[in-house]
Amino acid sequence: MFMLRRVTRRGVAAAAVVAMTATLVAACGDDSGSGSDGKITLRYSWWGPAERAEIMNKAIARFEQQNPNIKITPNFSDYAPYWQKLATETAGGGAPDVMQMDYTYLSEYANRGVLLDLASQVDKNIQIKELLPGLQDVGVIDGKRYGITVSGNTFALIYDPAAFEKAGVTVPDAWTWKEYQDAAAKVGKAVKDDKMWGATDYTQITGILETWLRQQNKELISADGKLVVSKEDLKAFWEHGQRMRDLGAIVPQSKVAQVAPKSAPGADLVASAVGIDTYLTRYAGETKRTFAIAPMPSDDPNNLGLIFRPGMLLCASSKTKNPDAAAKLINFMINDAEVGKMFGGNRGLPASTIQREAALPVLSPQDQAVLEYENGISDQLKPAPLPPAGVGPVDAAFLRIGEELNYGKTTIDKAVDQFFTEAEQALSAS
Amino acid sequence: MLDQTVTSGAAAPEPETGTGSRGPRARGAGPSRRGRQVRRREGLAGGLFLGPWLLGLLLLTLGPMLASLYLSFTDYNLFTAPEWVGLDNYRRMFDDERYLTSVRVTMGFVVLATPLKLALALGVAMLLARPRRTQGFYRSAFYAPSLIGASVSIAITWRALFSDDALLDRALQWLGLPAGGWVGDPSRALIVLVLLSVWQFGAPMVIFMAGLQQVPQELYEAAEVDGAGWWRKFAHITLPMLSPVIFFNLLLETIHAFQVFTSAFVVSSPNPGSPADATLVYTLYLYLRGFADFRMGYASAMAWTLLVAIALVTLLLFRTSRFWVHYADGGDR
Repeated sequence: MFMLRRVTRRGVAAAAVVAMTATLVAACGDDSGSGSDGKITLRYSWWGPAERAEIMNKAIARFEQQNPNIKITPNFSDYAPYWQKLATETAGGGAPDVMQMDYTYLSEYANRGVLLDLASQVDKNIQIKELLPGLQDVGVIDGKRYGITVSGNTFALIYDPAAFEKAGVTVPDAWTWKEYQDAAAKVGKAVKDDKMWGATDYTQITGILETWLRQQNKELISADGKLVVSKEDLKAFWEHGQRMRDLGAIVPQSKVAQVAPKSAPGADLVASAVGIDTYLTRYAGETKRTFAIAPMPSDDPNNLGLIFRPGMLLCASSKTKNPDAAAKLINFMINDAEVGKMFGGNRGLPASTIQREAALPVLSPQDQAVLEYENGISDQLKPAPLPPAGVGPVDAAFLRIGEELNYGKTTIDKAVDQFFTEAEQALSAS
Repeated sequence: MLDQTVTSGAAAPEPETGTGSRGPRARGAGPSRRGRQVRRREGLAGGLFLGPWLLGLLLLTLGPMLASLYLSFTDYNLFTAPEWVGLDNYRRMFDDERYLTSVRVTMGFVVLATPLKLALALGVAMLLARPRRTQGFYRSAFYAPSLIGASVSIAITWRALFSDDALLDRALQWLGLPAGGWVGDPSRALIVLVLLSVWQFGAPMVIFMAGLQQVPQELYEAAEVDGAGWWRKFAHITLPMLSPVIFFNLLLETIHAFQVFTSAFVVSSPNPGSPADATLVYTLYLYLRGFADFRMGYASAMAWTLLVAIALVTLLLFRTSRFWVHYADGGDR
C-alpha cells in the first residue's frame, strides 16, 4: 500500500516543506451572474434554523408565482458562518442581491458602500408606512436608508412559573435587581435537587449591560463609536454579577458550555433568564417545561432602560443589477400578509402591522405572551440607537471576558482593563 | 495529504534506484538521435502530466501565499483597500494577550499530542508487525480513526463523550475519581483535543509498520544468539534502525499538531476557543481575527509567523537529528 523504501534526509525535508505550507493557503469565494433567458435572477441569503428555511422556500415559491419574471436563488446558513460567508463574498465583490442583516453589523456594511440606498424605492416598491412607528426609521443612516426591519423585540425576564412556585416566590409587577437576585437565589435552592440553578449569567451580554446603564441614564458606546462607560460603572456591573454568583444563584459556565448549542433554559439548567423576549419561543421548543415573562428588573421603576430592537433587517447589495426586483422581494418578505402567516413568530414578531395582524391567529401561546408583554410596555420602549461599526467584536469580547469571570479565571479589575483594551481597539479599527 | 507526503518522501532521488529517462544513456555510447527524440517526447509528456499540479500550485497555493505575505504588512478589513502599515501587525502580536494565550495553548497541544500519538502508533505497530491471520482486520481497525477522525461528526461525538454525565464522567464517577465533564472545564478541555488527536494514530502507525519490515531479521537473530532480551532488542536494534522513520513521523506530526484547527473549532462550538480560551489554538485565533473581526492583515501576519515558527522548530529537529537518527545510506555525509 505504501511505497516506503528508505527514508532519506532530503525526502524528509521535502515532506516537511509540503506539510508546512498548508497553513498559508486561503479560501476563495465564488461569484454568480444574473439570469440569461430574460428572467431576472436574485440571490437571497439569510441565516436561521432549518425550520426557517422550509418556510422561506414556501414564501419564495409564492413570490415567484406572483412575479413570474423573477427567479430567486436562496442561500442560508447558521448565524456565525453566515457572517464569515457574507464577509468573504462581499470582499470578492459578490454580495447577494438581497441579504438578511443584523443591526449590529449594519454600520459595518453600510459605511463600506456594500449596501444599496433604498430611499428612492420607498413608496415605490417598498411600503414602510405599515411598520410599527418605533421601527420605521431603523436602517436609516445619515439620511440614507440601508435596511428595512423585518421584526422587533426587546429584553425581558423569562422564568419557569413551576420552579418559582416551588420556591414560594411570587413575581411582582415590578422589582429591583436586588429583589430579583434574591428571588433567583431562593428559587435556585428550591430546584437544586433537579440539578437546576436560579438564573443564567446575564453579566456576559452587552445588551443587558446597556440596559442596566440606560436605567441609570448612562451609555456604553456613544453614537459616534466611542467607549463612554466609566471603568467604575463596568466594575459595579460585574460586582453586581459577583453578588449573584456568591448567592449561588447563577449556573456555572462549565454547565452552559456543555449544553451548547442548546440554551441553558432549554436544557433545564436554569429557572430564569434575562435576555431577548422572543427567546421564549426558542426555550419552549427545546424543553417540555413552560415559561412565562416577568417584568425586567430595574432600580428605577419608571425607567426600564428598554429599547425596541430590530430583530433583523433586509438589505440590498449596492452592486445589484436589479434594484427594483430586490426592493420588491424585500417588500414582499416584510409586508405580505400570507408570508406573515407562514412565519408566525419564527423571525420574531413581525415589524409590519399587516403581518402582525395576519400572524395573530396562528401565533403560538409563547409568541402571544411576548406580544402581550411588548404591548404592555410599549410606552417605555425607546427607539434603538444605531450600533456603530466594530460593535460585533466588542460583544464577543464582553461575552468571553464575562465567561472567564464566571469560571473564576480572572478578577473583576483585570477583566475591566482587558475589556477596555479590546473594546477600544475594536472600535478604533473600524 | 498523508499519501502525498509519504510518496514525496519515497520518490526522493536515490542513486541506486535511478531508472527511467536515464536508461537509454546508460545503454548506448552517448545520446543517439532516437534517444533524444524519446527523451524530448518523455519530457513533453512529463510536462503535461505535471501541468495540472503546477497550475494548481501557482494559482491555489503560491498566489494566495504571496498575497497573504503582502497583506500581512497591511491593515485590511476585507471591504476597503489594504493600507500599508509596515511591521505593525507583527509588532502588535506581542501586546495581544489573546495571541499569547493561543501560543501557549498550541504549545501545550503540540507537546502533549505529538509524543503520545507517536508512542501509541509505534506500540501498536510493533504488536501488529508479527504476521497472523487477523492482522488485516486489526490494521484496518486501528487505521480507521485516521480516515474519519478529522470529520466534524467525530468531533461532535467526541464533545458528547466528554460532557457531564457522559461516558467519561460516568466511568470516573464509578472509579471514585473527580467527576464532571471535561468539555466545560478550562483546565481539562485541552486534554479532550489531545485525546482526539492521539486517537488518530493510524497514519504514523502504518508508516512505522512499513519501517519495521525494513529492519533486517538477521540483526534480531544475532542478538538473540548473544542472549539479548526484549528490551535490549528494542532499544539497540528497533529504535536505531527505525530512527529515520521516527524522525519522519515526528516531523510530520509536529507540523500537523501546530496546524490543528477542525477539532478545536467543533469541540468548542458555538464559541470558538471556549471554555475561557482553553482550546484557543493558534489557527483558531487566526481564523477568528480574519473572519470574525475582519482583520485580514493581522491574520495573515499570524499565518506567516506560524510558518516561520514551524520552520524554526523543524530546523531544530533536523539539528538534533544528527545525534539520534541513523540513515542506512549515510544521509548527506
